Amino acid sequence: MANVSGSTYGLTILSPIKEDNQLDLCHSMELRWYLSQLPRDHRSPFAQLSDTYLARLVVMDDVVFVGHPACEEHLKSRYLVFETNFDGGLDHYLTRMAQETGEFVNAVWQHCVGFPGTEDLNKFIEYMKRCQIETTFFFADVNDQTVESTLNALKTQAALAAFMERHQGCKAGELQRAFGSFAMSLRQAPPLPRGGDESRDIRQDRRGHD
Amino acid sequence: MTNINGKAYSMNAITPMKPWKTPFLKLFFFILGAVKPLQKDLKNLSFIHFARWVCIARDGFPRLADSQPAEELKYDYLLFFSNFNGTWNQYIDAFSAVLYRGLDLIWRWSEKYPGSQPVTAFKRYISLVQFDTDYYYNVYPHAATNDVKAAIRVQRAFDELAKKSESLTPEEFQKEWLTFQVQVAPDLGATGIAPVGT
Repeated sequence: MANVSGSTYGLTILSPIKEDNQLDLCHSMELRWYLSQLPRDHRSPFAQLSDTYLARLVVMDDVVFVGHPACEEHLKSRYLVFETNFDGGLDHYLTRMAQETGEFVNAVWQHCVGFPGTEDLNKFIEYMKRCQIETTFFFADVNDQTVESTLNALKTQAALAAFMERHQGCKAGELQRAFGSFAMSLRQAPPLPRGGDESRDIRQDRRGHD
Repeated sequence: MTNINGKAYSMNAITPMKPWKTPFLKLFFFILGAVKPLQKDLKNLSFIHFARWVCIARDGFPRLADSQPAEELKYDYLLFFSNFNGTWNQYIDAFSAVLYRGLDLIWRWSEKYPGSQPVTAFKRYISLVQFDTDYYYNVYPHAATNDVKAAIRVQRAFDELAKKSESLTPEEFQKEWLTFQVQVAPDLGATGIAPVGT
């Protein structure tokens, strides 16, 4: 199945956006306003959907005319493109979208034709699947990990360099004990925040020079 | 800029294709998916987290209500979505220099595609068919693909050492620790914000 690479699912959705000439601000513009205000870091709704790697929302106004002798043609609707890459199956992800980020989903897709809302889960999943476009070819550079394991690895990588620096020249017994405590504390440490925050800036830049 | 979140750039492009050409492109993608060594160059570039190509038939745009006008298109469309590290120029330059054969096999079916070399005409074409992202989320904005791969290697080596460390004498552990440091040293270093570029 081309939507899947290893353990990663690549979902592509095209939802037609409502057109209403009576409105002061058209649906596509309201949608763009909303999206421009939405946090993109650890406060993002996708940070709540913990299985998400990367996601994007795009208002596609029209197709592109590439010049003569190609024909010029136009779409009759604008489309909201939703592209996301996540761990696990589609139904589970869509269920989590509806149940854990329902407010966000409703705020976005209320501008789309035929959107039934998230209250009726089956109707919501059916709607999203009607809007899904099968991926023709999906490439994932790393496809044998999960979001969780990747964030853990990044956490280990960052902490290990500091541990090595602190324990240079230690005696064997002391080093072994310190390593045991370090491994334990890493296991118990909270995961890195999904979507990032200030604490993940480059550490070396903040460190005073000896 | 909404196309960028941390070290990742989100690129969207759409190109028209004559419908009789679409099956040839799908066949190429089928072969690319089935024969993994053909993806070697894409892997070796090592700055693409995820990328996908989606063919939409001219009658394949979702129509969800009678009130929504039906599309009347002559062309099928090829959508391309990429999540890569680095700047737009670096990405297109690398594509043109390293992946030109593969790129030409993918986009040669699209109208007015000039070929990936020379790069100036290729860049002009990509600029024309690209459209911007309105919202972009990245779970690890400060990590590039290479950072992720390095971190995974570190984690594997670390888990291995942690597993056997308790059964070692302090002297044996110290020896293993030295070996471990040499092994992971190239993959250490903190992640952080990306350099500014265009």
